Amino acid sequence: MSLVLATILLPIVAGALLFALPRNSETAARAIGALVAAATVATTVVAGDAQWSFHWLSRPFTAAFHFGATPISYWLALLLAICTACAIAATRVSRTRDMVALILILEGAMMGLFLARDLLVFALCWDLMLIPVFFALVGWGEHPATAWRYLIYNFAGGLTLLLATAAFGVIYGSTDVIGRGAAPFAGGWAEWIYAGFAFAFLVKTPVWPLHTWMPPTYSGLPSPMVSVVSAVQSKAGLYGFIAIALALLPAYVHAFALPLMILGAISLVYGAVVALVQNDVKRVVAYSSLSHLGLIAIAVASGNQLALKGALVYIVAHGLFSAALFIVLGYVEEREDTRSLSRLGGLGWRNPRLAGALCVAALAALGLPGLAGFAGELIILIGVYQAGYVWPVIVALVAIVAASAYMLRLYQDIMNGPPDDDVPVRPDLGWREALAVAPLLAALVAVGVYPAPLLGTHAAPVVTTSSRTP
Amino acid sequence: MPVPIGNYLALATVMFFIGVAGVIVRRNPLVMLMSIELMFNAANLLLIAYARLWLQNAGQIFAFLVITVAAAEAAIGLAIIVTTFRPEKYVDVDDIRTLHG
Amino acid sequence: MTQHVLGVSGSYPLIVALWLLPLAGALFCWAFGPQLRAMAGWVASTVVAASFVLTALSWGAATQNAGGALGAHQPLLSWMPGLDFGLLLDPLSLLWTFIITGVGFLIVFYSMGYMDGDRAFARFFAYMSFFVFAMLTLVLSDNFVGLLVGWGLVGLASYFLIGFWFERPSAVAAARKAFVINVVGDVGMMFTIFLIFANVHSVGFGDTFAAAATLGPGLLFAICLALFIGAAAKSAQVPLHTWLPDAMEGPTPVSALIHAATMVTAGVYLVARCAPLWNHSHDAQILVGTVGGVTALAGALLGMAQWDIKRILAYSTMSQIGYMIMGVGVGAYEGGVAHFFTHAFFKAQLFLGSGLIIHALANEQDVRRMGGLWRRMPFAFWVMLTGVLSICGVPGFSGFFSKDQVVYGALQHGYPWLYAIGVVTAGITAYYMFRLLFITFLGEYRGDVAPADLGIAGEAPAGPPPGEEEAHHAHAPAWLMNAPVAILVVPTVAIGAALMYGGPDSRWSAFFAPLFGGEPVSGAAGTVTLGISEWATSAMLFAFVLIGFAIAWRRYATAGAKQNAVERLRRESIGMPALLVNRFYVDDVIDILFVRPAQSLGAFFGRVLDPRVLDGAVRDVVFWARWLGTAFRSFQTGLVRAYALVLVFGAACFIAYYAFAGSVR
Repeated sequence: MSLVLATILLPIVAGALLFALPRNSETAARAIGALVAAATVATTVVAGDAQWSFHWLSRPFTAAFHFGATPISYWLALLLAICTACAIAATRVSRTRDMVALILILEGAMMGLFLARDLLVFALCWDLMLIPVFFALVGWGEHPATAWRYLIYNFAGGLTLLLATAAFGVIYGSTDVIGRGAAPFAGGWAEWIYAGFAFAFLVKTPVWPLHTWMPPTYSGLPSPMVSVVSAVQSKAGLYGFIAIALALLPAYVHAFALPLMILGAISLVYGAVVALVQNDVKRVVAYSSLSHLGLIAIAVASGNQLALKGALVYIVAHGLFSAALFIVLGYVEEREDTRSLSRLGGLGWRNPRLAGALCVAALAALGLPGLAGFAGELIILIGVYQAGYVWPVIVALVAIVAASAYMLRLYQDIMNGPPDDDVPVRPDLGWREALAVAPLLAALVAVGVYPAPLLGTHAAPVVTTSSRTP
Repeated sequence: MPVPIGNYLALATVMFFIGVAGVIVRRNPLVMLMSIELMFNAANLLLIAYARLWLQNAGQIFAFLVITVAAAEAAIGLAIIVTTFRPEKYVDVDDIRTLHG
Repeated sequence: MTQHVLGVSGSYPLIVALWLLPLAGALFCWAFGPQLRAMAGWVASTVVAASFVLTALSWGAATQNAGGALGAHQPLLSWMPGLDFGLLLDPLSLLWTFIITGVGFLIVFYSMGYMDGDRAFARFFAYMSFFVFAMLTLVLSDNFVGLLVGWGLVGLASYFLIGFWFERPSAVAAARKAFVINVVGDVGMMFTIFLIFANVHSVGFGDTFAAAATLGPGLLFAICLALFIGAAAKSAQVPLHTWLPDAMEGPTPVSALIHAATMVTAGVYLVARCAPLWNHSHDAQILVGTVGGVTALAGALLGMAQWDIKRILAYSTMSQIGYMIMGVGVGAYEGGVAHFFTHAFFKAQLFLGSGLIIHALANEQDVRRMGGLWRRMPFAFWVMLTGVLSICGVPGFSGFFSKDQVVYGALQHGYPWLYAIGVVTAGITAYYMFRLLFITFLGEYRGDVAPADLGIAGEAPAGPPPGEEEAHHAHAPAWLMNAPVAILVVPTVAIGAALMYGGPDSRWSAFFAPLFGGEPVSGAAGTVTLGISEWATSAMLFAFVLIGFAIAWRRYATAGAKQNAVERLRRESIGMPALLVNRFYVDDVIDILFVRPAQSLGAFFGRVLDPRVLDGAVRDVVFWARWLGTAFRSFQTGLVRAYALVLVFGAACFIAYYAFAGSVR
């Protein structure tokens, strides 16, 4: 069997089989889950750009179960596999077995999404990946309305995606087009098709004003699941913009660049400003995500090659640091049983390793030079400036200043201040917990010091897509 | 001498509307099932009559299919009635309203 | 584009070693902190000292001059074309490296005594070592992005060390404020990088400076302005200076190393490093020189109104950096850099000397509660005295030579008003520094006087948190702290005379001639012929110093002043002008203009716009969907017979329709 297919099916099958374990088996489920996720890291690397295809439809258009990594999706698949492994290793919730199983199924669905070379399969996986998150929100969330809001909002996006895909297939004749360097598409319906894609991608990312599902979803999900969702699932929309919209409909991305850029800029400032005053630690990170992803939307809208390369670096960087942030905040919540910044404080004395982990993640998020976030921001903004857009650059710089304020507030309000003597002392990070964040933090440093592999291997597809931009 | 087709048609119509009236008016599910059976048979009668008139056997075959389906339906319907009304002493279809919106 | 004009290309592994050693030390102290305990100080001292030795060994390579290529260059790694990283050791970065590792070593060594017994002893030395690494990154980078990386990392190290005692809310707030204001500077630097990359397609110093002449004046001014935002934030120039006084929340050795000797002078380094850019933009020179002059004056004025010994020194640092910025801004690069050099020694000495006092008085920092310490701590007195004489610019001391170069340079390059500011500020400096000295060391000890009698409002005492104090009085040998200070006295007194005596013929000028001397100076930025000799301007400077000294003497050192010192100090505290007490209201203006609008906007977005308006649209959709559902569910009675009736009715309608349609046709 092909390794590509194994990368997708292994987590799904393993996730389904986990339900065969005894209901209360925690360690075993976690160990198996982490091993499976680690195995997908290996299969992703070994598979490389291998492909696997199986014919599906011939009418009304050609479609195939066609999987295989493109240079861009290779990094996303790798990011997904690493984040999943770390998230599973960090999982300690009620009904751990079920949570691990859901995370694995989520990984499989998202692997399918990133590795899909066929638009129809992409749209199928788009809806599939909502389901585990929905069940996690129902099972572990604080309010069932959050789950429905997540599902309906994202299904609405999924619907326009499916409609656009169907229209595209009928007109173009085939949906087996991702990463193929297919000729750009234009015609009477192309505008509507782009609108369908764009709506789905904007909801998923999310971009202001379509973001209202995100803060409750992020604060409602248990932290291991949310670390995967915010690290990787939120990238599905941006990946769609780069791999689908820019590759197939470059003229329309270009034509609607300004609105997209304005929405990105609003997200950037809006998220930053709201994050300044949130009290729930997870909401701080949720709004910071809105802000950071707005920057990537600006990069996509600029259509500049350099900005797109930077966008890839920043996609990976944001995945790494938001996964790390949510995992560490999960540890904090496990220990202190609260997410309220006004009630937390002074943990740094008793938990230096926990403080160190949060510190590195927060610093990467605020764009400290030398860590991954900075490399992405810098190259994106160099590119956006090069493309002649000055005002988004200035907006982004203001947001960077705000980022340093809200990230430090997050870190300091949790870790600094006088230790609370009334609260029992919790143990510092154990080896399992440390092991779950260490790869993410190490990757943040590595990408921050040397992002050249990310910048380099992507020259090819990005160049071919944007060279066709009018 | 063959019976004219109009007679069949009249008989079947009467049978069918008796069945309709039975389903709507009666509250005993057993009677309702029988009424449904009556409507089936009205249809069957017409199928066979027209098959004979036009000398096409498809109608007769369809009649067999309908009888089979009707038998299956009666079996399932009776089973539902038995399980639903087992605790009760009497059967009244208006008493089962658990599927209301 | 990888051809760098700066630096002889080749391999100089020594630079890499001296750069990475402190990082290794930091990681070692951090990883094995609990095991190392007291050894951590020795580890950090050793790596910094080793780095210093390697710097000395690199002297030859750093000063080599081969056909326009000056200094040693070591390529490191490349992100993409135009974004190459490397290390550059030329006379300018060599000077900074010497101060960072040399003075850095003395301060780290001193810290072993000062921080003795602290709970987080090893963590402190990990941070200090990390700071040295970050600062080396800043000065050794051969491109703007590497510089920015160092720029951000020193900001981080500064953040860690200001907030070192992080259970104290004031330290935490000060650390955050310092970091955020420094990010404002980082962002300015980033904008520079965008401007340069878009026009030069490279961020290397060599490529950029080579292209400087071809960039238009408007663009150059924009580049210089954005660069200077970075420099101003890091070097505490008006109006981005407010973090520096608050930064005194950190332990005193931190103030000496980061907030006096090295990090805060990074802006001076930046302007001096980018001299080729400034030489081509006279407007930018005027701007930088003026901001420097204003900062020098503002810092000195605010220094007069302080009572906290470390805050007095902090404002004096701000003022002295104003001098440096003024010097490099007007084009007197050697002068500005010289003042950095001597300031590093005398200010480190002043801070370490005040650290001796603070340490001995159990973290008392208010000078009003000192007094008469001359008899108790003669060593500290002599240390502070030489430092004060040097910072005031008393002829013969190091500070005189460098300060004189700066103010004379301002006059020489055609900025008489900056010269005037420099001279007046020197007088004010003399006043507040001698005020510090007299109040602290003369008269009677006032530590047992009730605070209210001295006009001290209820302020939280600085220093390490309560509970630490017993630990703090553990007995580290006195020489650990005294020896480094004693060593610093030598350059504070003598290095100016040794290197800078003789103006253009001095060794100092010869050292920097290849770097700054050869630069073509354009138009009005050039020197003007003066009708006044350097001797005369020096005499003028000294005259103002004497006036400042005399006022301080009259107010604090005469027999009458010493007699009723308590009453006089109380009256001075109460009568202090509000403008100075509130630090020109800069903090409040920043608060009103930026901090509060951002917070209220965030609250409005988060509590009103997001849930009510944006999410409201979504809720409307949900509401109507639910209303429709409610309307239709009433049809679902659950009555089988009713369903049957509807069914029959529907069927009847169909039949009627077709029957009717058929009859019509």
